[in-house]
Amino acid sequence: MIETKNLTKNYGNLTAVDNLNLTIKDGDIFGFIGPNGAGKTTTMRILVTLLEPTRGGAFINGLDVTKDGKKVRRLVGYMPDFMGVYDDLKVFEYLEFFAAAFGIERKKRKSIVEGVLELTDLGSKKNATVDSLSRGMQQRLGLARVLIHDPKVLILDEPASGLDPRARIEIRELLRELKRMGKTIMISSHILSELEEICDHVGIIEHGRLVFSGTLEEIRPRLGIESKVRVKVANHQKKAIELLSALPQVHQVQALGDEIAVTFHKDQHANGIVARTLVNANLDIISIQPERLKLDDAFLQLTKGIVH
Amino acid sequence: MTTVLTSTFWNLFDPFRLLGPIFDKELRVSSRRRRNYTLRLIYVILLTIFVTIVWLSVVKSEGSSAYQKSRMALAGKTIITTIVTFQFFATQIIAVIMLSTSISDEIYHRTLGLLMTTPIGSFQIVMGKLFSKLLQIILLLAISLPMLAIVRIFGGVPWNYVLSSLCITLTAVIFAGSLSLFFSINNRRAYVVIIKTVVTLGVLYFFIPIITGVLLRPRWLYAPVFGNPIVTFPLMIAFLHVNPFGAISVNTATMMSSYSPRTMMILAITPTGSAYFYWYLHCLLMLGASALLVAVSVKVVRKVALRQAVGQVDSVSNQTYDKRSKKRSRRSGEQQGLIRQVTGSPVLWRELRAPMIQGGEGRNSIIGLAVAIIALLITYGVCEDYLDESFTQTGYVMMFTVIGAVFTMVLSSTSITSEKEMRSWPILLATSMDDWHILMGKAVGVFRRCLPIWLLMAGHVFLFICMKYIHPIAILHVPVFAVGLIVFLTCAGLYFSARLKRTTSAVIASFGLALFLWIILPAVLGLVSVFTRDYNTVRELVSANPAAQLVVLMDGAGGSFNARTDISKLNFEWPDNSLRKIWPTTGLLLIYMLIYTAAGVIFAWRAKCRFRHNVF
Repeated sequence: MIETKNLTKNYGNLTAVDNLNLTIKDGDIFGFIGPNGAGKTTTMRILVTLLEPTRGGAFINGLDVTKDGKKVRRLVGYMPDFMGVYDDLKVFEYLEFFAAAFGIERKKRKSIVEGVLELTDLGSKKNATVDSLSRGMQQRLGLARVLIHDPKVLILDEPASGLDPRARIEIRELLRELKRMGKTIMISSHILSELEEICDHVGIIEHGRLVFSGTLEEIRPRLGIESKVRVKVANHQKKAIELLSALPQVHQVQALGDEIAVTFHKDQHANGIVARTLVNANLDIISIQPERLKLDDAFLQLTKGIVH
Repeated sequence: MTTVLTSTFWNLFDPFRLLGPIFDKELRVSSRRRRNYTLRLIYVILLTIFVTIVWLSVVKSEGSSAYQKSRMALAGKTIITTIVTFQFFATQIIAVIMLSTSISDEIYHRTLGLLMTTPIGSFQIVMGKLFSKLLQIILLLAISLPMLAIVRIFGGVPWNYVLSSLCITLTAVIFAGSLSLFFSINNRRAYVVIIKTVVTLGVLYFFIPIITGVLLRPRWLYAPVFGNPIVTFPLMIAFLHVNPFGAISVNTATMMSSYSPRTMMILAITPTGSAYFYWYLHCLLMLGASALLVAVSVKVVRKVALRQAVGQVDSVSNQTYDKRSKKRSRRSGEQQGLIRQVTGSPVLWRELRAPMIQGGEGRNSIIGLAVAIIALLITYGVCEDYLDESFTQTGYVMMFTVIGAVFTMVLSSTSITSEKEMRSWPILLATSMDDWHILMGKAVGVFRRCLPIWLLMAGHVFLFICMKYIHPIAILHVPVFAVGLIVFLTCAGLYFSARLKRTTSAVIASFGLALFLWIILPAVLGLVSVFTRDYNTVRELVSANPAAQLVVLMDGAGGSFNARTDISKLNFEWPDNSLRKIWPTTGLLLIYMLIYTAAGVIFAWRAKCRFRHNVF
């Protein structure tokens, strides 16, 4: 659905995006991560036809963003990292204005705006002036605006920045709902734990170059990180440690209070064998929990944090 | 003891402490801005051009050397008057534009609330902003001082005149700047501030004296104000003391009159003399008015800053808007009725929703139009005896054209930059609307917002055609003239608005273009033609000047004599000294209209090309 081929953008001597090759499949939520100045926003702006690439190409649904700008804009809903508002308009008028701007027929506009307001839970605020809304409400209004022409692709630049935890959770739920509706979503955020929870794939960018693209699970072998599980048994913890230590896939076994931390050799995924071994030994298992690689850790390892 | 007193005195009155770090910061920033250096350069170039033109026109090469020497004093006077007049107008315009974003910029960037968390007070914020900009203007005034000193050698110009004129100009600048700063607290958009300031100054300096004059007719109206220093009417004297335009006129007229410098000085500065105009009193009054404005600004800035510091709405205007909305909704009983449906082109709808002078439901526009019509009717009453003269009709149509042109330039050059400043421009460009569609929406929006002015002009022309004071051919000529001008100014303004980031820069660029095309270029060519003796190019260029065209048209068709003349016998005197009949004039007018329209279309095309450049 979204594809970039050797996408490059230069600002004078500065290369903001450098030969970026990216593919995002239909219906995916793609987390776009990178330090400040890495080129995330520039890439997004190129995808929504606001900037022209210096070299390479960007395609949405097979349409070239530089050649088929108008068609691309119909397909895409873009939420920038700042809230551009017409402060003297009311919420309903603001949305209706953009509905008209996207060429939606006048008789259909009211129901569409009502629908979007309901989806974003802004129905009670439709008569308020845009500027009087709180930041969280404004972000929701931004999302409502993005959805007004029912785009297939949503490109959201830091939609949760500056929001309180409740508003963040609400935005997250809304994004999940949009995924269920079949939208392809490209989202950038600095709150990595959030992306972790909602994204199918992530792309990590630094100095305008893509340093990783794939699922979180795919990051582990790439980084050479061992997988871990935490096991809790009802009794005979010592016996369990002995049994697990004897397994060839296991690199290390450690007792951590009433839990046992089992570290596997690289490239080994042996969660099943742990359970089987313990059950065969008639030990009562309370829980087996794979220790997930945190996106924060992956981000720190993959990037150097050097800003342009 | 002395040391303590001295240090206390300095602590209280130290200018840098009074102005604070804001002043310091503004000076640092302004020294890094290229546009300030450009402004100074343009100022000097313009000043030089005007002075050279005046010099060449006064000091002719004909005549004996004794005759030429005898004209030196007159040349000196004329040149100094030119410099003073140029400074008086230019610095006030610059002050209004420079200070139009002084506080609103801080509010917009949310730094005003931040400043409130520091020991900097609102007094320091206001004074720092005001005086940092004023310092730039004082520098401009200082640029001309050496020239004034040199010209004084020619004789005939006393130091007192130079000093008093500078003081009158400076206090007028301080007042205009303070007013602009005051309006910038409550208005985010620079063009609104500029318009509000200009309208307020117009009301204070011209409208109120005229209305008062009308009410007190006939004794007061014909008081000989200009050209005669002996003004004895107390009310007029009072107006002169609070009106810098009147003050500078009387001051200059006194200097140019036949009185000897000594008598003139006595007249101008001696309280017991026969003249009742005291320039220093005028300056004190203007400074007092400015101080009052500054005091109010300090109070309001503090309120706004504290509100921003605690995370409330951005400016007073928004809160006022909300209050008004609530009041309206209470009045109407239900909130639903307040929402306006988007009809037609969304860009045009949005342009027409944005009020020129903030006020919902177009109420302020209607009030403004009503006031303008009443004011117009009053002036008809004042000029009753001269309405059948062509120069009166020329004056009226010229006034409408100038106001319409200024509004067109301001609104067109702010239509895109204001979106950029609100950061809604990228969002608008990310919609599926065609760039031409957006451009057309903006252009039509500008025209629709200026329409009341053009309708007033059309109404005036139509009324006086009916009264047989203007020939009916004006129904054809005036619209043909206006179309070219409107298209050109609108499209040029849109181009600058698309090209530049800041509202102020775009407005200055628009005015600069008009100034260059219609004043500087003819002036420079006129200067060149003095040496080359080829006056045709200048005359052609002057013929293309809208002001000159308007004079030609109204001079030919205005007045009761022309209104009753047969159409085939009407004569129009063009600047190239040719006397043209009706159809050649109409043809020439159409050609100029097409040229201006074509230039406008080129500007529009370039504006469209620039749409997606510098979006952020």
